[in-house]
Amino acid sequence: MLSGKSNLCFALLAAAALAGGGAWAAEPIKIGIPVGLSGANSVVAPSVVQSAELAAEEINAKGGILGRQVVLEVADDGSGAAGAQKAFDSLIFQKKVNVLISMETSAARNAGLPIVTRGKTPFIYTSFYEGRSCNKYLYVNAWVPDQQVAPIVDYFMKKYNAKTYFLVGSDYAFGRGMLEFTRKYIEKKGGKVLGEEYLPMDGTDWTAIIGKLKTAKPDALITSTAGGAPNVTLTKQLRAAGVTIPYGNLAVDEGTAKSMGGDADGIYISGSYFTNIDNPKNKEFLTAMQKKFGASLKTPNDLSVPQYEGVYAYKLAVEKAGSTDADKVIKALAEVSFEGPRGKIQMNKQRHAPLTMYLGQVQKDGSVKILETFKDVDPGDQCPKLK
Amino acid sequence: MSSVPAAPAAPAPAAAARRRSSVRLVLGFSAAALVLVAIGPAILPDFMVNNLIRAFLYAVVALTVDILWGYTGILTFGQSAFFGIGAYSAGLIFTHMGFTFEHAALAFSAGIVVSAAVAALVGWLAFYQGASPLYASVVTLVLPIIVAQVLYSGGNFTGSSSGLSGFESFDIEMHTWFWIAGTFLVIVTAGAWMFVRSDAGRVLVAIRENEARCEYLGIDVSRVKILLLVVTAVIAAIAGYAFASVQMVVAPEYAGFVFGTELVIWVALGGRGTLIGPVIGTLLIDVSTAYLSGDLPYYWKLIIGVAFVLVIVALPRGIAPLVTRLFRRARKGGEAAQDSPALRKAQEEPFAGLAGGGHHAIALAGVRKHFGSLQVLEGIEFTAQRGELLSLVGPNGAGKTTLMRCLADGAERSAGSVLINDHDIARAPPCQCVAFGVGRKFQNANTFDALTVAESLRIARTRLEAPSLWTRAGSLDLPDAALKVMQATGLDQRLGMQVRHLSHGQKQALELAMVLALEPSVLLLDEPTAGLTKQERTQIGQILTELTAKHGLCVLLVEHDLDFVREISSRVIVLHQGRIVLDGTVTDVVESELVRTIYAGGGAMSARLA
Amino acid sequence: MSQLLDIVTTAAILYAVAAGLLIVFGVMKIINFAHGGFLTVGGYSALIVTELGGNPWLSLPFALVVGCVLGMIVERLVVRPLYARPLDAILATWGLGIILGQLITLYFGREVQFVESPVKGAIEFAGASYSQYRLILVLLAVAIAVLLGLVLNGTRLGLQTRAVIMNENLARGLGINSGLVRFITFSLGAGLASLAGALITPLSSVDPNMGVPWLVSAFMLVLVSGMSLVSLALACLVLGGAQVLVSTYGNPILGGLTIVVLAALILRFRPQGFARE
Repeated sequence: MLSGKSNLCFALLAAAALAGGGAWAAEPIKIGIPVGLSGANSVVAPSVVQSAELAAEEINAKGGILGRQVVLEVADDGSGAAGAQKAFDSLIFQKKVNVLISMETSAARNAGLPIVTRGKTPFIYTSFYEGRSCNKYLYVNAWVPDQQVAPIVDYFMKKYNAKTYFLVGSDYAFGRGMLEFTRKYIEKKGGKVLGEEYLPMDGTDWTAIIGKLKTAKPDALITSTAGGAPNVTLTKQLRAAGVTIPYGNLAVDEGTAKSMGGDADGIYISGSYFTNIDNPKNKEFLTAMQKKFGASLKTPNDLSVPQYEGVYAYKLAVEKAGSTDADKVIKALAEVSFEGPRGKIQMNKQRHAPLTMYLGQVQKDGSVKILETFKDVDPGDQCPKLK
Repeated sequence: MSSVPAAPAAPAPAAAARRRSSVRLVLGFSAAALVLVAIGPAILPDFMVNNLIRAFLYAVVALTVDILWGYTGILTFGQSAFFGIGAYSAGLIFTHMGFTFEHAALAFSAGIVVSAAVAALVGWLAFYQGASPLYASVVTLVLPIIVAQVLYSGGNFTGSSSGLSGFESFDIEMHTWFWIAGTFLVIVTAGAWMFVRSDAGRVLVAIRENEARCEYLGIDVSRVKILLLVVTAVIAAIAGYAFASVQMVVAPEYAGFVFGTELVIWVALGGRGTLIGPVIGTLLIDVSTAYLSGDLPYYWKLIIGVAFVLVIVALPRGIAPLVTRLFRRARKGGEAAQDSPALRKAQEEPFAGLAGGGHHAIALAGVRKHFGSLQVLEGIEFTAQRGELLSLVGPNGAGKTTLMRCLADGAERSAGSVLINDHDIARAPPCQCVAFGVGRKFQNANTFDALTVAESLRIARTRLEAPSLWTRAGSLDLPDAALKVMQATGLDQRLGMQVRHLSHGQKQALELAMVLALEPSVLLLDEPTAGLTKQERTQIGQILTELTAKHGLCVLLVEHDLDFVREISSRVIVLHQGRIVLDGTVTDVVESELVRTIYAGGGAMSARLA
Repeated sequence: MSQLLDIVTTAAILYAVAAGLLIVFGVMKIINFAHGGFLTVGGYSALIVTELGGNPWLSLPFALVVGCVLGMIVERLVVRPLYARPLDAILATWGLGIILGQLITLYFGREVQFVESPVKGAIEFAGASYSQYRLILVLLAVAIAVLLGLVLNGTRLGLQTRAVIMNENLARGLGINSGLVRFITFSLGAGLASLAGALITPLSSVDPNMGVPWLVSAFMLVLVSGMSLVSLALACLVLGGAQVLVSTYGNPILGGLTIVVLAALILRFRPQGFARE
């Protein structure tokens, strides 16, 4: 748990491994991973890195990509715009990576895109987000609101007869984008939004907002905060204030839910991955993760599994294109599909992917019970100008 | 009164030559730097070029911090706020209005106007009369916090936590941006260099060294600081505008106080008050951070933190002076002789404008002063005329210095009226009272230790002759009385000497000369003979007598040396426990029973009286 | 009612955070910018107790002790040499805060972590359902205030401290060892900061930079209170209350600015702030 020490140990092991495995002929393929090791995403980032490491290890064990070893370069983007600039700059121009594959906050992604464009580097974005981010070099293999919001709202309306809603989010592109979509959907279905409140990404004091929530007395609450930390602080403070109405969280993953302990009990979440998804690829994946990381395994979740699949998607695209040349890889990424823990995924809908979505509820022990399943939900019109 | 012999011809051309060579030095260095900037993109790797563009712009802002802090003594954490304002002007306009040439110009002007307005407001808040340096620093700390929070609260308009990105900007290659940013840095550095070496630049140092003395020399310190803040704010905003244009991303972090404190750290490490130190320091640290923080994430910031604390505690001047000391030792220079201006006699007008003589030079009525429940002055009332030399005597604690303060600072008294040359000083601050004609010399030699004799006198002339922003004047005009003081005490041969090296008596004389340089019509002297030799006392006495007799000044003297008083004074006021007990000639005072008892049973006083 | 409780609990939290800074400012006339770092240390002390599986209430005395010890080291090494340079002392203590943050990051990692709350959930209080922990915080803050008051007014050390606050030179002239008073005061101030950090972490989270946002509010409150603990309580109530009101009826983000802006304005027009003279 004292990760300073474990980081040091890991660094030493990695160095030893690199020193030992010197049997590769050609230049390695570098995958850049800018991720929030500090800041709002720091709760989730370790799981993302672990997924990438497993994928790289498996690929290297089978001969790498086109005979070249896969090497990961991880950089901290501070979960924000300023940090992302430095991280992207360092990865693209200093380390000269061939591709960026990672999840980040929308703040970080938006800040990094100009650098990606300038550096002409493919970027596979593995995080769910608010949608409609379009760039010549960008692909997304995670869900957008068009795929995720409906299950929760429909369920609340059906089961709890919820007519009035209160929306709470982190104040940045993701929080606002998600809740804007949610509001439209609620109103389209005949519901009413009583309040919509935001706190900056790093804010920790939800007292005033919780006060407003209690005054408004809505039937249900839907939240969309950044990454791990704001989710936990909000939930803790909500429970401490005695809020027990149906609570739909658009932006929490299983791992973070686990770390909330008992406070997470009863929260409804909708996502494209849960650990108890019943398919053989998922079971293989989980076994391999457990074997590789043992006690220090961070629960695989809806933010880390797309990372695993993203690395494989890149492998397939490079093999199809026959090189790491950016333009060729960009073209190939839309044409390859990978069968992973989330099923068969192809990023062929305007750079986004149709996904199977699940509605689940967090249980007392932190696990998620899957209530409903929706196969191959279309992402909608994300980037009509890009083909 | 014989005029001062014309200054010897020799020093002037030499001094002028030295000044020309210093200008040439600046131009030479600038040219060399520009050459480096020009070839940079060709020889440096892309990653370093990208980083240096950012570092150049940060260095410009660090320069502004050095001017404010290193030179003027205002510890500011707020320059990042102005950087952020410039950056967001570009970001907001390019995002919401699109990018065109007109919009770019609009954003540029908006950044300048808004940052100047905010700086003026902050200056008004932080630099008011009597503000403590701590309060000023606190306000500069609060500013970036407010700016960042306002940006956070802007929702979709300002992008809140995400900031704004993906907006279109100038279609310029990174190489070209490198040239632009590098040239900008060189120009600002060269300009700043010329400014701090000029006469106006010396005023900043004077303010840092001794703000009170500046006020009493008629310099409106508040106004100078506000003006300085506005100018540095605009420069920082321009750097921010460039930054947003090249990065195409703006975020609240760039306006926040963490960035503001980083700037202070870079300046401290590089060497505050040296200009080049902060520039080199910023470039080195920022580029190193880019390379090292990836590999040594925790340790690098720790190293910087430790270095910072060490520097503050043990090496407050930063690393730069160590380096320059090595250079100086290599050159075998020692204390470089400062080029001194030639002294000339000024065209005097002590009674011009507000200082014009009226019915009374000094007129007090019903003046009272209390600290809480302690009554220090009560019912003070007297008048004095031009050409009068008036001594104020009384035991310690009688209120003499307080009375002096009431004459030179309108905010000091609790009640009553004070008229100088028939002008009611009301609540006017000291710099305004100087305009009314008051010149005050303090009890302890109150001078600018870090400046030279010539520079100190130049500062004293600021109110009457606005100093140049670019150069040092070749000559210094002083009124006759000041020149006499300089000559009598030999200070005119020590124009280039640093004040801290003068003897006590010389410092007293310098301060007197500085006050006389104001061309006051009312001169307030607080124990001018304290610590002087007999010969020096006689000289002072002669000068004072001349001032009243020949120049028509009204001189008010606080003195303990009764012999001195007897020699030069026509009138004595005795103060006791805050009240005037006697106002008459020296004989009256000497023969007074009351005065004898006041001085509590004799001792030195009664011996003198005998 | 709930809002009134919000105001009172917010004021209590602010008081706990600012009290330590106030006594340091009063005695040493410097603003200890490492106060934020000590707050963070307190938070991580609570984290250690959580990780070791101890009773969360233990984190309070543990944090207090850790803070005091750290304060002693800092006073000796950093603050003492800067006695005559108050602006430089601000900078040095800020640098210290950075060092503390980095050392914590080195040892604990930089991600956000969470501690166990000693009490959970809400209770019924005067008709409103309110967070139990927040209510207990009020009691704890009052306890701190009372204890500090007792020490300052009832003990010999307290008397010496008040003398040094009023006029250090005179106190030294009367034989008071002002160096010792400063040493003890700074350590106590650091300990209080650490305690406050442990008190506030159950409400949110622990990360290496958690102390920074509190630092600025705390020292604005200190500046506006002069040297008095009573006027600090008053300032916390008034300005903390304003913050809650602005957050609720306006914008929570601008609410965070209320304390800072109001304090700056008050000081501009009344330099002694809430103090009597």
